[in-house]
Amino acid sequence: MFLSNLVQKAQQYIDPAVLPGALSNANATKPSKSTLFQQQFHLPATQNPLYEITAELTLPTRKSGLSKSPSAKRQQQWGPNDWDKGADGKGTHYVGQLHLSEQFMCFSTVNTSFVSTASTSASSAFTGRTHGTGTAGNGFTLPLCAVRRVERLHTQSYMFALSITTWNGFDPGSDTKPGAPAPPKLTIQLEGSRQQCERFCDGLKRGLRQGIREVENMRAVAADCYSEYFMYSDFDATPPSTKPDGTPRTPPDTGLGSLFKYPGNSRKLRDRSKMRLWHEYMRENGRNTTLVRQPDFHRLIRVGLPNLLRGEMWELTSGSLYLRLQKPKLYAETLKKHEGEGSLAIDEIEKDLNRSLPEYAGFQSEEGIGRLRRVLTAYSWINAEVGYCQAMNIVVAALLIYLSENQAFYLLSILCDRLLPGYYSTTMYGTLLDQKVFESLVEKTMPVLWEHLSGNDVQLSVVSLPWFLSLYINSMPLIFAFRVLDVFFLEGPKVLFQVGLAILRVNGEELLDATDDGAFISVLKSYFARLGESAHPKSENPKHRAITNFQALMVVAFKEFDGITQQTISEQRSRHKAAVLENIESFAKRTSIRNLGPESKKLSTNDLGFLYDRFYTILYERQQRAQVLQAEEDRKRKASRLRATEIVTGVAGNSAPEMGRVGLGPSTTEMDYDAFREFLAGVAKWAVTDSPSSPTNPNDPSAHRGQNGYFHTLRARPSHPSSPWGRGPEPAEHEFLRRLFKRWDKEGKNSLTLQDVVAGLAPIKGGRDIMGNISYFFELYDDDNDGRVDREGILRISEALLFLSRRGVGGGGFVSPSPTSTGLSEHEDGKRRETKDEQFLSAVSAFIRRCFEYADPDHPSRQAEKEANSAAQQVDLMDLNEKDGPVTSDPLSGSSPSGSDAKDDSVLSRPSTNSFGQTQPQSKHAAANAALDPASPVHITLPTFRMLVLADETLESFFDSGFANSFHLADAPLPSSTITSPTFLSAAQQQHATAPPASIPALSPGGTSSGVVGGAGAGVVPPGKGLRGMLDNIVTDGMRVAAEVRRRMDEAQKELDKGASTRGIEDDDDDDGDEGGRDLLEGAEADAGVERKGESARSREQSLLDQPMVEEPRQERGKAKQEEVDAEMEKSTMFER
Amino acid sequence: MTDSTTASAPKPSSSVKLVLLGEAAVGKSSLVLRFVNNDFQPNKEPTIGAAFLTQKCQLPSRTIKFEIWDTAGQERFASLAPMYYRNAQSALVVYDITKPSSLVKAKHWVAELQRQASPGIVIALVGNKLDLCDDDSPEDDAQDGENVDGHEEEAVRKVSTAEAKAYADEESLLFYETSAKTGHNVSEVFTAIANAIPETSLKGPRGGAGGGTQAAISGGGGQDSSRVNLNARGDAGAKEGCAC
Repeated sequence: MFLSNLVQKAQQYIDPAVLPGALSNANATKPSKSTLFQQQFHLPATQNPLYEITAELTLPTRKSGLSKSPSAKRQQQWGPNDWDKGADGKGTHYVGQLHLSEQFMCFSTVNTSFVSTASTSASSAFTGRTHGTGTAGNGFTLPLCAVRRVERLHTQSYMFALSITTWNGFDPGSDTKPGAPAPPKLTIQLEGSRQQCERFCDGLKRGLRQGIREVENMRAVAADCYSEYFMYSDFDATPPSTKPDGTPRTPPDTGLGSLFKYPGNSRKLRDRSKMRLWHEYMRENGRNTTLVRQPDFHRLIRVGLPNLLRGEMWELTSGSLYLRLQKPKLYAETLKKHEGEGSLAIDEIEKDLNRSLPEYAGFQSEEGIGRLRRVLTAYSWINAEVGYCQAMNIVVAALLIYLSENQAFYLLSILCDRLLPGYYSTTMYGTLLDQKVFESLVEKTMPVLWEHLSGNDVQLSVVSLPWFLSLYINSMPLIFAFRVLDVFFLEGPKVLFQVGLAILRVNGEELLDATDDGAFISVLKSYFARLGESAHPKSENPKHRAITNFQALMVVAFKEFDGITQQTISEQRSRHKAAVLENIESFAKRTSIRNLGPESKKLSTNDLGFLYDRFYTILYERQQRAQVLQAEEDRKRKASRLRATEIVTGVAGNSAPEMGRVGLGPSTTEMDYDAFREFLAGVAKWAVTDSPSSPTNPNDPSAHRGQNGYFHTLRARPSHPSSPWGRGPEPAEHEFLRRLFKRWDKEGKNSLTLQDVVAGLAPIKGGRDIMGNISYFFELYDDDNDGRVDREGILRISEALLFLSRRGVGGGGFVSPSPTSTGLSEHEDGKRRETKDEQFLSAVSAFIRRCFEYADPDHPSRQAEKEANSAAQQVDLMDLNEKDGPVTSDPLSGSSPSGSDAKDDSVLSRPSTNSFGQTQPQSKHAAANAALDPASPVHITLPTFRMLVLADETLESFFDSGFANSFHLADAPLPSSTITSPTFLSAAQQQHATAPPASIPALSPGGTSSGVVGGAGAGVVPPGKGLRGMLDNIVTDGMRVAAEVRRRMDEAQKELDKGASTRGIEDDDDDDGDEGGRDLLEGAEADAGVERKGESARSREQSLLDQPMVEEPRQERGKAKQEEVDAEMEKSTMFER
Repeated sequence: MTDSTTASAPKPSSSVKLVLLGEAAVGKSSLVLRFVNNDFQPNKEPTIGAAFLTQKCQLPSRTIKFEIWDTAGQERFASLAPMYYRNAQSALVVYDITKPSSLVKAKHWVAELQRQASPGIVIALVGNKLDLCDDDSPEDDAQDGENVDGHEEEAVRKVSTAEAKAYADEESLLFYETSAKTGHNVSEVFTAIANAIPETSLKGPRGGAGGGTQAAISGGGGQDSSRVNLNARGDAGAKEGCAC
């Protein structure tokens, strides 16, 4: 149930068109326009599409066209570009869409639109076939700081045309001065209404003004690019070793390859001719930040990047360059900040440093290992959720051959956050998901092979998983894996699928002969080993013979499988996502439940499953809410500014709202106190607050209407997702909760793991152990673990008992929601509850009183004397029983809400009133009264506590089962989500109505005493409001009663002093044991409520003495007592109003 | 179920799928390397996903061809494990005798296998890195710091044989303490597994490649029924939530 809920919830966030990377808006049902925009142009998550306009880009005619070059000849092979209109007299024209974001101006021939009215298909047009150009198509992605000047051109027509001069922070060289050539002037003709054009230009103007600040960053970033060094001089000229000002020119760091040699034979790879072509291309089309993408750009990438430019082009095409532009110092700062710190991730990284591409010389050296260590470590710091995953070491090691460590760091961020979403997460759900996607693509595109595989029980993913996880790097020989990477960074994740499918297609026949995993693997292994060999060794045609297996593979991948688009992948991902996550979650759940330690054995698997679900749902939901709130906050903050120019921190801005879901790798596994309260509120009724702070809906008249209002409020609440408690009931705040939390938090780390929760609940829920429960409770209040609970503690215990019971108690044998569903309106039910509550109330009051009677003074001498209590209880009891004769008035007898703040659990922590002191000396019963004297500290011990509990049937039953039953786990499910459901409530009521509480027949009638509630019903308070109204108050605000407990202590004392020894008269109606008649009685009681509850302390004592003596005439005494109580009642009622 | 071993003539051969599970860096890959190549590498590349190797094991009455899936040990790879132990007839659950936490992890794996893997799977509990303990091979103690988790300085036994043995008995597991480094007990483990595999659960030799005449002779009916068998298991596996 939890899972399906979660899946549904997750689905809300996941659109079919989900693309890798973050969804910026937690409420989005589909990727936001911003997300799509970022994805198309590989921009950082801070960028939003602000303006867009159709435009025509004109580039100056090439001076020396590439048309004669070998790469241009391949144009046929890669397919002509639809948008390439070719050159005419004036230059090259591209029609497309011009976009403006906060910091970027992007032009693409892929006609996407991100205006708010644009359809999803218009916004995600780039996810279709890309014809080798990547998602951004032909065009440019200019950081605004790279725009040096914009001129409005005078045109003959009405056209609105701009001429844009770009630079990357370095002035171009000229005839007189060496330097890289100036990037091309871009002429852009805007096609739109005059107004549209003006608006766009205004936006651009603002952006440019802001952009000036970034120039320094850009200069630093560009200086790291090899192109900047490379283009400084002509290709064939020997690069000068100094600049005109005499400073030496040194090439930037181009990875370990420059120190340890790049893999492969550079001659065979035709590295030099590639470099020449790139030199030509960049001379015409700019470089690094100013580069313009024309079809040749994409072709040059397809044929494989030259060693020295590879890193830079990876940065550029993946967009990690833009990330670096935004935070050029993040890498260095991260390392510095965490210098000397350790973490689990770092331990794991250390283990693998020596085992990453160990065959490459660079990684046999301290230099290479050091770089690898630093990049992995830095990333583990900025993305602690991912930390470190094996396979990252291999990928980063590969990147470091071509990139400086600084560059590799940003590229790793892009990889993990955008290109390989979830691959390296703690559950690796992305990896598993893409395996499923891959399998389904195989099934679709190669049904025969698929049949064969499944027929022979060969599991494809065991073979293909490493391909994806380590980007073919440890599957193919390095030089070929890098070729795949070249295209991968340009075109995105679909490339991994295309190549994978092509591998299977090319080896189809042999694979059809393989009938087990082993054979299957060995076919592919040997194929990878032959990638460099000729694909057609026997061909007559030398040109055919020259085609390597790898080239053939690329053709198959990008020709035959060019229908595998980003869109395809996204669709497949969303189709399989739920199932994959569910599998992971059930696995995680199984594992987790097994790991819960020995205590967990006390709970049923169902219960453990329930706790697990509940625990993680809370964490998940809290996280969701936090994110929504955060997003809201951000939005407000943004709105309050004119322009969001501030760069929000965080490298990739990965704000995926899905995080926290177990399958996605829970970002937290610990519950803080607030989460704990929320957790309990869903498990136990008493943990739900009585006075929900519902400022969220001040207009809701029901919000403060007592119990009914409470539930109304709950129902109204879901419309306020911003409530800190979400949809669930608002948890109560009470000292008891804090104590429980503290007790469960064994290691004192101020948070609970699931294991803590289970270990905490197990002793309560597991097994009906009344003694255990009593000790558990006692220990909760034994702050210093000395086996004693002092006066303050006694009061706190009583208060807690009232707190726990204020929605009713699960009496003996209650299995279901007990009388807790009470107060909901149904009259019948109300009555029943009342009686239960009354009982409990009196039980507690009696408990307090007796606690003090039986308390041991802290005096050692007296203590020794009292120790006898535990040894010979019966005797002692008898003894005390006599003494206690005069104690007539129950401390609670007059208790009515005293107006103290419900949420204030400090009520009882006030120093005891001095009235104790005043009255004490007059006491005739020094022994008993000494206990009440704050001046003579007392305590109770566990045996005393136990005895006192067992002496009272209500309490006994509470500890026997009521307390345990107040936690509703799987076996009596009461998930928070259903608490608010009216149908559930009524069902619970019915259930309750038809299931009267069982009780323990052998024991005397409920250990209630005095007539607290009865008093109210006796007519002092108008009947209509009377009992009912008062109970409402009690239930709404149990704490007030508790406060009253203390207040009444004084009065009890006074009465003692007065010697008004009227015994409370017991009410024998209240016979829990009489199960059969109970229903009937309840009805009567509702009217006669008065009489029901009165029961003196003494009667209880007696019943304790002779337990079987159930029928004790109590009626009369009850009446006598009643009057007295009534008086009290009136007083306090008046006080209250 | 499959009756492929009844053929006469040369020793019947059957393949057995074996999966290795255990905490990271307890020496799973090293055990396999020792068993398959009789080799030991101090710096073994971490396993990504899983590695696949095969090795034959000669028993007096038959030949067992182990198809070994050596899985990645890093915690997060655990969710991939169901993919690998699916249909496995045997499992080697490895822990490091110098690292008590690895035994805890091993116990989890055992529980997972008993609940989720093929019924009747033969599980061996293996405490590796015996070479690091003085008591067993005093001359070969921990002077090499190559142990991947780098515990050499406190490389003493932390998990007593008795404790592990007791656990293994309780769960009816085979139990061995091994050293992949010295080779101590390594082949014994595999042989014991081979012996423990009930004949009835043996598939015929799968795969035309290298199966030779044996496959042709004994394969026929056997393979057919094994296929049915496997499919049935595959369904069950899919249901039980292998993530792939």
